[in-house]
Order: sequence, then structure tokens, then C-alpha cells
Amino acid sequence: MDMAFGVLLVTLGLIVPLILMVSRAKKTRALAIALIVGSNVVGCFVAALCFWQQSVVLVDFSSFTPFSFALGIDRLSAFFLLLICTVAVPVAIFSISYFDNHYGEQRRNRIWAFFSLFLVSMILVVTASTGFAFLVGWELMTLLSAGLILMEGDSTERRHNVFLYLVMMHAGAAAVAGSFFLFLPYSHTLDFASMRTASGVVPAGIRTLIFLLAFLGFGTKAGLIPLHIWLPRAHPIAPSPVSALMSGVMLKTAVYGFVRFVFDFLGGGPWWAGYAVLAVGAVTGLLGILYAIAENDLKCLLAYSSVENVGIIFLGLGTSLIFLAHQAPVWAGLALVGALLHAFNHALFKSLLFLGAGAISKATHTVDLEKLGGLQNRMPVTGAAMLVACCSIAGLPLFNGFIGEWVIFRSLLAGSALNSTKAQVILPLVVGILAMIGGLAAACFVKVFGVAFLGRPRSQAAEEAEEVPFAMQAALSSLAVACLGIGIFPGLFLRPLVSLVQVLVPGAGVLPETVSIARIIPCAAAIILVVSIAAALLKRRERIARTWACGLPGLTSRMQYTSTVFSKPIRFVFSSAYKPDRKIDRLPPDQPYFPQSIAYRSVRTTYYEKAIYRPFAEMILSVARQLRRMQTGNIQVYLLYIFLTLVLLLTFLRFQK
Amino acid sequence: MRIALNILQALILILGAPLVRGIIARCKAFLQRRQGASIWRPYSDLAKLFHKEDLVPPTASSVFRLVPFGLFGTTICVAAFVPLVQPSALLASRGDFILFVYLLAMGRFFLSLGALDGGSAFGGMGASREALISSLAEAPFLLSFVAVAILASHADFAGMVAWTLQQNIFNVSAVHMLAFTSLAMVVIAETGRMPVDNPTTHLELTMIHEGMVLEYSGPRLALIEWSSAVKLHAMLALLVALFFPWGMVSNVSAGAVILALLLYCAKVVLLIVLLAVIESGMAKLRMYLVPDFLGVASAVSALAVIFTMLDKR
Repeated sequence: MDMAFGVLLVTLGLIVPLILMVSRAKKTRALAIALIVGSNVVGCFVAALCFWQQSVVLVDFSSFTPFSFALGIDRLSAFFLLLICTVAVPVAIFSISYFDNHYGEQRRNRIWAFFSLFLVSMILVVTASTGFAFLVGWELMTLLSAGLILMEGDSTERRHNVFLYLVMMHAGAAAVAGSFFLFLPYSHTLDFASMRTASGVVPAGIRTLIFLLAFLGFGTKAGLIPLHIWLPRAHPIAPSPVSALMSGVMLKTAVYGFVRFVFDFLGGGPWWAGYAVLAVGAVTGLLGILYAIAENDLKCLLAYSSVENVGIIFLGLGTSLIFLAHQAPVWAGLALVGALLHAFNHALFKSLLFLGAGAISKATHTVDLEKLGGLQNRMPVTGAAMLVACCSIAGLPLFNGFIGEWVIFRSLLAGSALNSTKAQVILPLVVGILAMIGGLAAACFVKVFGVAFLGRPRSQAAEEAEEVPFAMQAALSSLAVACLGIGIFPGLFLRPLVSLVQVLVPGAGVLPETVSIARIIPCAAAIILVVSIAAALLKRRERIARTWACGLPGLTSRMQYTSTVFSKPIRFVFSSAYKPDRKIDRLPPDQPYFPQSIAYRSVRTTYYEKAIYRPFAEMILSVARQLRRMQTGNIQVYLLYIFLTLVLLLTFLRFQK
Repeated sequence: MRIALNILQALILILGAPLVRGIIARCKAFLQRRQGASIWRPYSDLAKLFHKEDLVPPTASSVFRLVPFGLFGTTICVAAFVPLVQPSALLASRGDFILFVYLLAMGRFFLSLGALDGGSAFGGMGASREALISSLAEAPFLLSFVAVAILASHADFAGMVAWTLQQNIFNVSAVHMLAFTSLAMVVIAETGRMPVDNPTTHLELTMIHEGMVLEYSGPRLALIEWSSAVKLHAMLALLVALFFPWGMVSNVSAGAVILALLLYCAKVVLLIVLLAVIESGMAKLRMYLVPDFLGVASAVSALAVIFTMLDKR
């Protein structure tokens, strides 16, 4: 096992990039891709063994590195490693023809090398068992994903977005590093094991600080509102398979980090921690899906929907923390199971959706919903897989998205049994918020599938779309099958998750509630299937007939509802959440009643940018401007600085002794 | 015996559904001083549709063709959740209200997709409006169940109904009244009745549900119409079972079952009369007033949940 894991790391991290750098022959690239897929399959097996059978893997590289650098797989790591490798295999297979189609000969090798290294960096993050290993992985993950985004092109706008992404990520990384270093005075090393044991002696104030920094740092990476502004800019502009990895997998490393810190190290935060996380999660979920539904660019919409799903995951984590604070470990465990399961499910269906967006862009060269339509007839396999993904993300029963949400619902409901009035009122009411998020998500993905795949094609490109190559179809279908598998037989996954949670939350037990859904869902699925098939077998005559067009010669695609107008009622009702800036220009201005042309623009600047980010950026700039006075360019002044620093340090040393 | 009774319950729900529609139409006709059609009319309508041929638009895909079957399947599954004459049903002991609500949402999801696949203007119009209403109705729908579930400390319908049965009929709490009010409002919105949607209209400015099914015909339309009838019947039966279960049998015997059945019919007919009075007495709300209607339902259901704190028995 240790061996297999080591080989996996070395293959992905060293061998694949090296052979891609050495040779540009087609055969070497094929070998490299085979190695990537193969090592991820191995990774799946290693992770599955550790997850289901609780074996522990430890690989220590400390003898090669100046600081202690060890990797280990416990159950939590195994769960997230399983997530990464399960998604990576179909994404890699999908990428073969995607990259061939989109990139020239010389860029292809580079992007595959980055792809492989990006996977390694994520694996590093979730398997690190020392702080340094974690931070190295964390930083590499950011830089490599930024590199992959820039691989697609380097226009000014793209660079601007990547810059914002890097700034936000580094602010987050600073918070994460800070929460590591706060442990240092008590644990003396950044070994995870010693941090865990030291957390008992950390004073309450520092614990609160660690919690806050971890929440801030991992929240930035996860895209919690209002720290999300980078996400809808960085995710859509990456190549589709990379977007799939970023949205599906990379966001989950933040969830991993948060769970590792707050549950594993700290064993829960201050009493208000749960409420804070719950509130932020609920707001993120609700606003995320409202922003998603207003988008017409498919990849942008999916990015916002990732924000929503991260909100649901943190809502579950917050619920779990509330139960922990009220000494109800059984229910805390259940909520944590829900959050983790939703993280896994989201990885599956979101990567499927992004890959589907990639397939659409390959077939039609656009992901603008207003230019799509009628793709189901032209791309039946892609369409079927996307339908499964849309049903999953909308949280419909028989699909995997429902299971995680159901577990969170049940744990919220249990809040009424707590002995605190606050929790008794708040937790059951959050059911309403989660229900609303679910309802809006369903509306959003009816729009996605209905507008992109059904009806009449809205452009020439959509009219002429053809089904994608077999490898892409295989990748899409395998993810769709996984979504359905977990959706109909959730027990397979719920039971090991419960034992994982028992490690993190001492006292959590197997509840009959967790298993009841696993029993009822297959029954419901059987009833639905049997009745539907029986109804479909009824004898009937079918005739294709043109729809009556109210006397016009025929229906055209311009008579269909568009993506914009589909979401209009929801945008209208929730207009206070959007605050659009509308501008109507009538020309000429002196004749308002007989205009020759009317131009209408609606721009959405989120008010976080106005209220939080812009003042903050201006503050930083003004401080920088002040600091610039120190930079005179005069060498004597710099010598003076060096001398003053020396004097300062010497006095500091003197007084310390 | 119990299982046989459970199957009987599901059959009553499914086969009796068109009758419920017929009685509503008859009541409305009576209130509007019209002659009205026979209460058995919906059955002959369905039979007629089943014998007609199925017309499919040329641009429609397999989704358009499969949606009615999926919708029918999920609706039948929903019907297996509702207790009628005894505090249990085929799926009621393990399946909870969350699954119930989401199965209904699943049917709606499929129907909206079918509407969009028709490729005409009206399908999209209906689907878009339905998306707004259903996303706003979801919260009060779940919250009113949550209130009852907290009191009964059971999340499955069997447990909830059994708990209510044990309570004194005169000991009705504020929670029940609030939850009933909001659930009744949700039922009106979910099943497309006045004042949210007009089930008898075919005018594009007002239609929601009718807009979605406009391109369907023949047996497929029959399945959709039957499904929405079953949905309406299941919702009414659920209102009865959760808030007025008294009269249900706990020990199965032939006489008790017949008595319970008669009582059930009487209760549902009462609800139907109430619905007909509401429908005849109110004008349809403007589209953008529907969120206010559902907002009131949400507030009432949230109050119901808050009041459970004061009502621990």
C-alpha cells in the first residue's frame, strides 16, 4: 500500500512531467496519459482500501527535505483522496480529445504536464501529515491552476482575472499558514499528530483565533460569500476539464482543510462557531444559486452553482458544530456525514456538468445558452449524461445530490430536540432556507438542460452540432453512472462515512436514520421504474405533427423562451439580491417620444465589490503609496535602512536576554 | 391484512383521483348556478384521450416522449406515501416527508423539461412561471411538515399520523392551525388551483400548468392529467391524514375499515367544497402577487415551527 501510494506520487509528480518535457512524440504523450489514468486508478484502489478497511498509509520524505515532510492516509484523507482520484480518471480520459482539439502540438505537452502536477498538488494537500507538506501542496495547487488558466490564452482581461485569483488565494493561504503557526508554541512541531495532542493545552483565545483564521483561509478557497468573487471569474475561463477539476475537486480540498482543522485538531470551535458557519453557509447557498440562475454563460452559471453547493456543505458543517457545542455528538456526526457526502456528490456531478459544457463547446464552439438548443437530438449520449447531472444537482431523489441534502435535512430537524432555545428555533427554520435553495437549484437546472438541450436550435452552430467522440462519451457516462449508483444505493457509501465520522467526532454512532434512506430509496426507485415502464408499454399510435403556430407559417426558434426570459420572474422577485444597474439610452436625447434608437444595458456589479473590496483595495494602494516614499532610489538611504535594521535587531537581542 | 389495506389505500388514491376533480367541477358549477357535467366526466375524458393518437412535434426529442411516463411513475410513488384509513401506507413507515416533497419536485422537474422540449412559446412560459412558484413554495411546504414532525417527533407520515390520532380532538394546538393554513396554501399553489393558477383557462396570459402541457395529446396527455389529479387527491388526503385523522382504524376489521373509508370520503368532500368555494369566490392573482401569497404561507409555516417550542407534550 505504502509502495503503491509512493509510486503514484512519483509517477504523477516526476515521471509524467519529465517524459513530456523530454520528447514531443505522439507516442510519449500517449504513454504519459496512460500513466496519469493508470496511477489515478491505483490511487482509487489505495483510497478505497483505506476508506472501507481503515488501513493507514504513511510515507515519510523527511530525510530528503530540510523540514519534516510526511504524507499519510487516514480515513479522512482516504475519503478525499478517493474523491480526487475518482474524478481525475474520467476527466483525464475526457481531456484526451479535448486537448487535442483545442491546443496546438507544442502546447499539448505542457498542458498535460501541468495537469499531472495539478493532480499531485491536490493529492499532497489531502494526504499531508505535516504542516509544511500541506502548505507546499496548497501553494502549488494555486499556482498550477493559475498556470492552467493562462494556458488557454493571455488576454488582458484573463490576466486581470488570474491576478485577482492569485491575490485572493494568497490572502487565504496567509490565513491558513497563520492558523498553523498559532499551534507552534504549544505543539513545537507542525506534525499533525502533535498538533492534535497539543490542542488540549491551547488557551481559549488562541483557539478562537485559530478557528477564525481557518474559517477565513479555507472559506476563501471554498468560495464562501463574500470571499467568492474570484471563483466565477477564474473557473469559467479555464479549459473545461480543468474547470471540472477546479470546481469539482479543488474546492473540496478547502472543505478537507476546514474539517481537518476544526473537527480533527480543535474538536469544535467556540460556542458561536456553528452559528457563524451556518449563517455564512446559508447566505452563500441562497445568493450563489440566485446569481447562478441569472447567468446565460453556461460555465459562469456552473461556477456560481459551485458557490451554492459549497454553501450547502458549510451549512452542514455549521449544523454539526452547533450539535458539538451542545454535546450532541450523535447528531453532530449525522450532519458531518451529510456535509462530506454532499462534497463527494458535488465533485461527481459538477465535474460531469463542466465536462458536458466542454462537450457542448467542442460541438458548437460556444457555451452561451442563448445560442444553444435542440442538442438532445444531435448529441443523445451527452444529453443523457447531462440530464443525470442536472437531476443530481437539483437534488431529485434517485440521484446522488438528494442523499447528502436529505442527511443534512434530517440533522437540522433533530435540532428541535436540543436543550437550547436558540438551536431549537434556528435549526428547524434553516430547513426552509435549504428547501428554498433546493427549489431554486431545480429551477436553475431546468433552465440549463431545457434551454441547451431541448426545443429548437437557436443558432447555426447548434443546428450543426454533432455527437462528441467515444472517449468523451465514455467519460461522461461513467460519471453519470456513478451519480445514479450513489443515488439509488446510498447505503454503500453511508456506512463507511459513518465510521469515518466516528473517528472525527467521538461519540457519534450509527443512527437508524442514516440507514432508513438507504432502504427506502431502492423501493421507491423500483416503483417508479416499474410504473413508468408499464405506462410506456401501453398501446398507442404516434404521429409526428407540426405544432399549430396560431396561423403563422410555422414556429421558429425565435418564438421559444430564451434563457434570459426563463429566469426573468425569479430575477424580478429577487431583484433586491441582484441590484442591477440599468441604463437606457434614447437617441437623439432631445426627442424622448420619437427616439430613433434605444439602447438598453443591464450591468450587475455585486455590492461586495462596491462595499468591501473597492475600499479595501484603495486602502492598500494608499498605504503602498505612503511606503513608496521610502523607495527614494538613493543608495545612501538604503544603506541607512540596513544600518538601522541592524541596530534594531541588536537591541532586540540585548533585551531578550 | 395491513399490507392488503395499504395496497387498497394506494388504489383508492390513484383510481379515485379523477372523481375528486369531477366533484370539484360539479361543486363549482353549483356555486356558479350552472348545470355542470357529471362527476364521472373526468373518467370518460381520460378514456377518450387514451384512445386518441399521440401527436409529437417534429423537433421534440426523446425527453418529450419519456416525460409523461416518468411523471406518472413518480406520482404513483408519491401516492404510496399517504395514509387514508389506517395510520400507515406502503412507503409511509420508512419514507419521510422530505422524500415525499422531493418526489413531487421530481415530477415537476420532468414536466417542465417536457414543456421546454415542445419548442413552442407557451411551454417555456409555463415552465418559467412554474419554476418561480415551485421554488417559492418549497420552503413553506417543508416547514409545515417540520412543525408537525417536531410535535410528533417522527419524520415519517405513519408516525406523525399515529401521534395525532392519540391526541384529544379538542386539544388542537396553534401549531396545527398554523401548519394547516400554510400547507393548505401550498396545496393550492402546488396543484395549480385558484387564486394561483386557473385550471380551466387556455389563455396564454394566465396559464401555468396548462401552458406546460399544451403540446401533449392522446395517451401522453391522459397520463399527465391523471398524474395531476392523483397529486391533487394525494395532497388533500394528506391534509386530512395529518390534521384530521380521527376515525382511522388502528385494529383492522371489516366494519371499522368501511366506517373509516366513509369518514375519509366525507372529510375529503368537505375539503373539496371548501376548495370550490375558494375557487369560485376569488379572482386569480396577478403573477407577481403570487410571491406575496407564498410569502404569507412561508411566514405562517415559520411561525408554526417557532411555536413548537411552546408546545412540548
